[in-house]
Order: sequence, then C-alpha cells, then structure tokens
Amino acid sequence: MVQSTSSADAAGHLGERAKSSGFNSRRIGRYALNGMAGLALAYILTPLFFVTWLAFFRQEIPSFPPEGYSLKWFAAIPGNDRFINGFLLSMQVAVTATLIGLAVGVPAALCLTRIRFKGREWLNSLLLLPLVVPGVVLGTALYVFHVETEIHTSIPILGSLGGLIAGHVLVVIPWCVRLITASLAGSDRTIEEAAQSLGADRWTTFRRVTLPSILPGIVAASLFGFVSSFGNLEMSLFLVGPGRTTLPIAILQYLEWKIDPTIAAVSVLQILLIAAAMLITDRFVKISRVV
Amino acid sequence: MAQTVTATATPPARVEDERGGSLLSAGVLIGPATVIVAMGLLLPICILFRYSLNQFKPRVMMVEAFTLENYVKFFTDPYYTNIFFTTLKVALICTAICLVLGFPLAYVLARTQTRFKNILIMLVVLPLFVGNAVRAAGWMTLFGSKGFLNVTLMDIGIISEPMQIMFTEGAVIAGIIAVNLPYMVLTLQSVIEGIERNIEEAAFSLGAGPFAMFRRVLWPMALPGIIAGTILTFILGMNAYATPVLLGGPKFKMMGPLVFGQFQLNNWPFGAAVSFILMSATLVLTATANILIQRRYRR
Repeated sequence: MVQSTSSADAAGHLGERAKSSGFNSRRIGRYALNGMAGLALAYILTPLFFVTWLAFFRQEIPSFPPEGYSLKWFAAIPGNDRFINGFLLSMQVAVTATLIGLAVGVPAALCLTRIRFKGREWLNSLLLLPLVVPGVVLGTALYVFHVETEIHTSIPILGSLGGLIAGHVLVVIPWCVRLITASLAGSDRTIEEAAQSLGADRWTTFRRVTLPSILPGIVAASLFGFVSSFGNLEMSLFLVGPGRTTLPIAILQYLEWKIDPTIAAVSVLQILLIAAAMLITDRFVKISRVV
Repeated sequence: MAQTVTATATPPARVEDERGGSLLSAGVLIGPATVIVAMGLLLPICILFRYSLNQFKPRVMMVEAFTLENYVKFFTDPYYTNIFFTTLKVALICTAICLVLGFPLAYVLARTQTRFKNILIMLVVLPLFVGNAVRAAGWMTLFGSKGFLNVTLMDIGIISEPMQIMFTEGAVIAGIIAVNLPYMVLTLQSVIEGIERNIEEAAFSLGAGPFAMFRRVLWPMALPGIIAGTILTFILGMNAYATPVLLGGPKFKMMGPLVFGQFQLNNWPFGAAVSFILMSATLVLTATANILIQRRYRR
C-alpha cells in the first residue's frame, strides 16, 4: 500500500514534463523490449539446441557443417553400461529421496501453516536452508560428516548408497516444505473445521479433506524434488563411492574427456525425460504458478 | 455455513487441552524434517569448520590441531588469491549481464496474457532442470575449433583462422550466464507480476517515456526482486562447478573446482578451509550488498 502511493507520487512528478511523442516512443520501446526478451530466451535455449543438433550427426567429430544425419547414436545407448547404470542409480536415488522428502516434508508444512508456536519462522528458514547452501559446500560438509560418523560408529556410510540418498533427501526437503506450505496457505481452513465438527478425526480430516486440496502442491513438490535430486551434480560428486556413478556425474566425466554425438544423444534423452515430467506435472498444476 | 459456526462455537472447553496437544503434535509433525536438516546440514558444517583448523601432513593425511595455517596459506599464496579474484570477477560479470538480459524477458513473461505464457515459462524452466553438464555439452558444440561459431565466422569471412574459444574465461562466462539466467528471470518475473499494470499506465498517461517509467516506477518497485535475483545469481556464479570444469578446462581455475581438487588430493583440512572461505565470502558479500542497496534506496 505504502509502495503504491509512493510510486503514484513518482508518476505525478513525471507528468510535469509530459511529452506529445510519448505514444510513439512507447511503441519503439515495446519492440525493443520484445526483442531483448526474445534474445534472452534464445540465449537460454542455445545450448539445448546445439546439443540436440549434434546428437543427429553422422560423423563422430563435432565439426560443422555435419556430413549427414543418423540415428545410430541413439540406437547405441542401450548397450552403453555406464550411462544405463548411471541412469538407473539416479532414478533409484531420486525416487527414494523424493518419497522420504515428501514423508517428512508434508507433516512439516502442515505444522508450519496450521499450528502457531514460538520459533516457527526460524524453523521455516532452517528447512529452506539446504536450497541456499552451495552444492560444493554441502558436498564437502557431508563428506567430512560421513568420515566422522564412520570413525565414531564404524558404520561404513562413506560412499554408500544410504549416504548418497540421505544427502539427496536434504536437497528435496526445501522444495517440499516451500511448495506445500504455499499450497496449504492457499487452501480453505474452514472446510477442515467443518469435517471435524461432523465427527471426522484428525487423520480422516487430513486424508479426505486436506490431502485432496493440496494435491497440486504435492505434485509440484514431487517434480521439483525429483528433478533437483536427479540433476544434482556437485554434492553427489563427494558422496558417490567407487563404481557408483549417477547420470550427471557420468555425463560430466565423459565430457571432461571428449564431446561427441554419443554424449549428445544421452543428453537429448535426459532433456526429453525432464520435458515429459514437466508436461505431465503441468496437467495437475500450471508450472507458471509454482515457479 | 451453520457447520462452521458450530465448529468454532463448540470447542471452548477443549482449548486448554488443544494447547498442550498442539505443541506435542507440532513436535511430531515437524520433528523428523528438522532433525534431518539439523543433523545433515548444520552439524556437518560445524565439523567442516573444525576440519579446516586441522593440519595436513603428506603420508599421514590429517593431524588433529588447532591452527589457522590453512587460512593463512590461502590468503598469502598468490596462486590461491588469484583463483579467488577470478571467481569473484566471473561471478560479478555474469550477475550484471544476467540482470540486463533477464529483466526484459521477466517483464514480458509477467505481462503477457496469451496462452503461450505457460509454454514460455516452461521453456525457461526446462534448461534449468536439464543440468549444467548437458548445457555445457551444447556450448562445447558451439565453441569448438570446428564448432558452429568458428565455422560460421570463417564462412562469413570475419576471421580466417579458428579462434580459441574453448578453455577461455569468455567461454566460462557465457556458460555461467546461461545457467544463471533462468533463476534471475523467474525471480524477477514473480515480483513484476505483483506490480499492478495500472501504476505503469498512470506514469505513461502522465507523459513519461518508457525509460523514465522504468527508472522512476518499475525499477524502485521491483527492487526487492532485483536484490533477491542478483543475490541468487551471484551465489550460483561464485559456486559454479560443472561449467568452469568443462568450458574452462584444467588450466582455468575457479573456487568450486579447487575445493573438489583438494578433496581428491585427500587434503581435507585445506579443502575444508577453501570451502569455508567460499561460503563465508559469498554470504558476507551478499549481505553487504543487500545492506548497501537498501540504505541507498530507503528515503
């Protein structure tokens, strides 16, 4: 409210030097604006465009112009153990981490929106913290944590699958808390009260009333949690053990060595997978509303 | 309606019970997530700090100690301070360009009313989800000595010999901008959507040109989002890993790859110190910038 009055003031000032050419310059301004916006969008999409183009080259060397086009690189992917295993591990880790993240994130979001208590804001920021801590720092911190745990309890957690999944749960939780909290804050509380006054206990109220109303939020949280876990690179680098590689790490290691249509084809499959996940999610909840 | 009235009217007798009960259920509900984040994030960061005070001896690896020598080593050796300042420079350049490139796109996305809006937003989000390594692959195709950019420039006749684009600072900056731009755009877009169109129209109807409207109305009102987006992009730029490794090559060093390299050499104390310096520098710089900007614009 305060903000809008102050800007109205600002607008009033501008009126003092009104110009007749205002309309014309507005049109030029709009063209310039759309042009800049198009440029920025094109820039964001440029790398995806070129990696897709390369995936269809006939020759192995990424030189332009291509000698011809072929689908053979896609056909060769199923025989490539590195990428298949990386994909399977990434799927396994991301699905498990997302399920655990939802299991602890939904109750936490429920608590943050439905119960008033001291330190609520503080807890909320704590649960969102893993999103802000850089991946490299998170990775190193978890690595030394695993080292210490192993020294003190002799549980072999360093480089284990459990340790990797635990790290990914940490990445998923903020997305669950953030998106489900937003969804709960927007849902009508009186319906829950009505259900309870009609004799439903808390669990039934949650299952039959609250859950259906926040389903879009849960779908969005699952997508963002899954994707941020599936694509996680920096933290995972510190947590994978010998012989255990996630797909992003496999792609990184291959690219450190060379770029060719094989890796481009793998990249295209990843792009398609994520695009499909987004389109499916979009049917439940508009992506533009949750990002 | 009658039901809601009864719902709010009946419970007074249970209020006392609810207080104690709700604190308990609050604990049960939020407990697991809190324990995971506290145990999995705060405690590890404390251990990381403790490790950074230890000593490294080749052969025995880590020796328990209480010394600042890792930090001293970092700030007195020009090799490391150069890496630090390169990282800072790259992050600042990328953040500035992201703001300039991102604002128009964010504005158009926020104001567009067409049915393409959702598709456009998905096109911004998709690259974000696809991961840094895949996008680096795209740039490598474009930047190679026989890559699209060099071949096109030679065909047009601007250059006669292929330029070295890969493994330069420019390539890394170009890559990081593409990585960070979606974050900037999405942050700005959500803030601009909250600014009413009428206010802009008021400025225009009072005779402001587009630039004056932007400078005197849109910019000040979008400032919270601009700060948030700038901070996010800066943090991501400082901590970039995949892009400098793949587009910068082995010789171009930034802080993220340096941390990983030290851990690969098993020098945990120094790696921990560098990691801690990276985190602290990022936090201090963003906090300072935040305070300065807010002071500058608070009138």
